[in-house]
Amino acid sequence: MTLSRESPLRLCAAQELTIAIRSRWTQIFAATFTVLALAVAGSGYVLSGGSGVQDFARIATSLTQLVVLVIPMMALLVGVTSFSPERGAAELLFSQPVSRATVVAGKLLGLLQALTAAQALGFGAAGLVIFSQSGGDGICGFLLLFAGSVMLTAIFLSISALIAGGDLRRRTRALALAVVVWFTAVVLVDVAALGVASLLRSGPASRVLMVATLVNPVDAVRTGALLGIQGTAAFGAASLALLRFTHGAAGAGAAILASLLLWILVPAALAVWRMTRADI
Amino acid sequence: MIRFADFTKTYAGRPAVDRLTLEIRRGEVVALLGPNGSGKTTTLKAAAGLLKPSSGTVLIGEPGRLSTEPGARAVVSFLPQRVAFPESLTGREVVEFYRRLRRVEPARTEEALRFASLNGAGTQAIATYSGGMMQRLGLAVAILPRAPVLLLDEPTAALDADGLAAFYGLVERRKQDDHTVFFTSHQLGDVERLADRFAVLVNGRLTAVLTGGELADRLAARGVLKLGLDACPAGLLDKVRRLAPQASWVNDQLVVPGPATVRPAVLELVRQAGAGIRGLTAEEGRLDMFYRELVQERP
Repeated sequence: MTLSRESPLRLCAAQELTIAIRSRWTQIFAATFTVLALAVAGSGYVLSGGSGVQDFARIATSLTQLVVLVIPMMALLVGVTSFSPERGAAELLFSQPVSRATVVAGKLLGLLQALTAAQALGFGAAGLVIFSQSGGDGICGFLLLFAGSVMLTAIFLSISALIAGGDLRRRTRALALAVVVWFTAVVLVDVAALGVASLLRSGPASRVLMVATLVNPVDAVRTGALLGIQGTAAFGAASLALLRFTHGAAGAGAAILASLLLWILVPAALAVWRMTRADI
Repeated sequence: MIRFADFTKTYAGRPAVDRLTLEIRRGEVVALLGPNGSGKTTTLKAAAGLLKPSSGTVLIGEPGRLSTEPGARAVVSFLPQRVAFPESLTGREVVEFYRRLRRVEPARTEEALRFASLNGAGTQAIATYSGGMMQRLGLAVAILPRAPVLLLDEPTAALDADGLAAFYGLVERRKQDDHTVFFTSHQLGDVERLADRFAVLVNGRLTAVLTGGELADRLAARGVLKLGLDACPAGLLDKVRRLAPQASWVNDQLVVPGPATVRPAVLELVRQAGAGIRGLTAEEGRLDMFYRELVQERP
């Protein structure tokens, strides 16, 4: 009998993975991301005058912009849709003798697996093209970007659970809130930080930008990826301030990693807290 | 097995259920009746551990545990009012998921699918299912774990004749197994056929709890005998009123409300009075009429 090995967490995750893989949203995302990633890889071929695809490091730098724009939106949309199911489905699921924390964690894990698989298609396709044309130089930065992309997915899935998890019946409101969150993280925080920094002297301005980098997961992933891909060469004022504050690249990487882990764990914990108190 | 003690649930300050005290024993089949918005679904969802009481308690099992504890939910199986499933899954996948989640033996999947009688659609995506098929699949999921407490919110709303027959059989088997079934329904035929007791909620308040026997008495008391007579002889009405105090003479008819047991005596009085009987009708009390009376007596 294999029943004892089937933990509710694993079952919920497997169920969510199946649903997410069959979801049109996930399929559209996988296809779009793959096409865009291939386009970015292919653009290197065009820019080099047809002499060959650029190496992993250059493509990864270009892909970073795609990742920070597309991944948060996709994770929020897929997450909110999953965490605000039809009332009858939620009532049936949450009436089972399984803790709500387990259900939320299982859904998060299943969705993360599905979206990671979708991204792996895009990264894998682009990686194959680059490897076949330019070899494996700079592949570590490329893989680091993939890891950052997965972390960004986990962060915005956690946020989506928090947005939708306490109120199962209002999917439209949750989706609208998800768009606001995406716009804030991807556009507004940067603009606001730059606006505030422009009013300050160099030192305080750098600190404002550094804090914005650590506080905003999108900036944290972007900075972390660029740090991994290009070292300190491509850093601006905020990143240099971060390097000074953390005494070097290792410290900066650790600070960014800590920030990202907090962004995964805190919204997930709050989502569980809300869900355990919510009336279904 | 289920005990509501002063259970109150308020939404935005308005009580959906107001100080409900009701105990449902092991092996009982109890129907919860009431108009739309009377608090039936809120009551069932509280028993299923889906919502927390604003005040009071809801205990499940023996010994009683708070319904919101996962341990309490282990003895409960719940069918929501408008059950839904992820549309991309098949019926079989849904049943299999819940079977594994409840740690039920694998053979139950086939039994549940046979009960659902999906006519070969078990391997098709749920997006293709009709409302009745969804309802039957929901019932199949609810019966998977053989939980001692079955909570069903309008289980027959979308069922066809075969589905109804299967449902009636299911409840009767559960009763034989000493399981408790607590269900809501607007189908008074289901209620009359299945329930040992009836509880009526109106505006969130419990207005009546009756056993089958008590209901039969109440319905019998609501019967009416109508006798068309040539004339009403002097003194006949007074004599009849001693047997049936509500008796009256209306439009050349002697109208005698009351249980069927008084009717032979009334006919004997009419015969003794020498009145010619032109016509006779007898109506029995009906559950729907009695229910309407209860609902109209809103607190």
